[in-house]
Amino acid sequence: MTPADDRDLEHGGDDALAAEYVLGVLPGDERLAVARRIEEDAAFSILVGAWEERLSPLNAGYEDVEPPASLKTLVDARLFERPDRKPKPRPSFSESLAFWRGLAGAAVAALAIAIALPFLQPAAVPEAAPRLVASLADDGTDVRYLAVYDGHSGDIGLSHVTGDRAQGRDFELWLIEGNAAPVSLGVVPVGASVHVPVAPAHRQMIASGALFAISLEPEGGSPTGQPTGPVVAAGDLRSI
Amino acid sequence: MTSPRPTSQDITKLIVRVSMKDRAAFDLLYRRTSAKLFGVCLRVLSDRGEAEEALQDVYVKIWTKADRFAVSELSPISWLVAIARNHSIDRIRARRERTTAIDAALEVPDEKPDPEAEAVAGGERDRIHSCLQELEQDRAAAVRAAYLNGDSYAELAERFSVPLNTMRTWLRRSLMKLKECLER
Repeated sequence: MTPADDRDLEHGGDDALAAEYVLGVLPGDERLAVARRIEEDAAFSILVGAWEERLSPLNAGYEDVEPPASLKTLVDARLFERPDRKPKPRPSFSESLAFWRGLAGAAVAALAIAIALPFLQPAAVPEAAPRLVASLADDGTDVRYLAVYDGHSGDIGLSHVTGDRAQGRDFELWLIEGNAAPVSLGVVPVGASVHVPVAPAHRQMIASGALFAISLEPEGGSPTGQPTGPVVAAGDLRSI
Repeated sequence: MTSPRPTSQDITKLIVRVSMKDRAAFDLLYRRTSAKLFGVCLRVLSDRGEAEEALQDVYVKIWTKADRFAVSELSPISWLVAIARNHSIDRIRARRERTTAIDAALEVPDEKPDPEAEAVAGGERDRIHSCLQELEQDRAAAVRAAYLNGDSYAELAERFSVPLNTMRTWLRRSLMKLKECLER
């Protein structure tokens, strides 16, 4: 391509590049470069999203074709049967880490949940026990957890999205109901995906809409039974 | 499989449940969406075996990336189709350049509207079509063919017998006109 062509192609800039990517016409190497940029550049990924939305009515041009019945078995085998490797509890999270880190701020994560939630009434997959989700974040820190509470087992699954605990300090999980003193649910175990059991006495608090918060505490947890360090993330539970 | 056509809300619920590693939801999502996504893979790859491999990859991606759906503003089906399209297009770009003459014969765009799909997409589909009509005819055809078949600039340039950079300039301008029309 001559320099003159390059100049001409600069017309439209990132928006035109996003459009070309979504249209699908770019050569392979350029596509890969753009795909990487989508991961790293939040502003650019918004342009791509807008083009995906703009052109999505063209999807009606695709006809349904039933895939062979055996195909789902192959998918399941790839995802769930890995005898050579111990299955990771949440393979998605290491992958999505970079993505979440690229997001502008805690508000985005909270908003994401807020966007998804209005659609989520228990219906599609019948399930007796309540399941609740909370995005734990705080504007002042980069600590972010996604909490999923399973009312049936009384277990909170915590996915560590971002933010490291300082050396010699621990994160402690709290349940806060109205103006009452926070109730400790214990120190958050270190790990990308961890579980915290909830005592039966505390389940009612969760069911009635208590807030989750995470504070930074001395190693081993708060010595006083009340939060002593700063709250690094908080969020309320929504049913799914 | 003759499950009733799923609503957008049903699919949203399923995707969010999949993001929490709910396998029952994943099974249901597959049942409800695999025909659509296989249609996408097949159209772009125009090879059954390769489309079957691609569809497996697509559902593996859906399983591992479902948590990203929450931050997308796309409708759930559009989000799923985007995964299938992107993956299929990446695959054809990665494979050796095909002989365009054969492809052109295989990939004559099917312009016949599918009544069911048309009903589903509703007014917005009409809107993009009326906007495409504002473009010169061959450019609108190039936009459609590129989107549905995943044609590259090189393939389109050959098909329409214009230099590659001309095709690139055409399509960039056409896309910007299309955007301007859709926002009008």
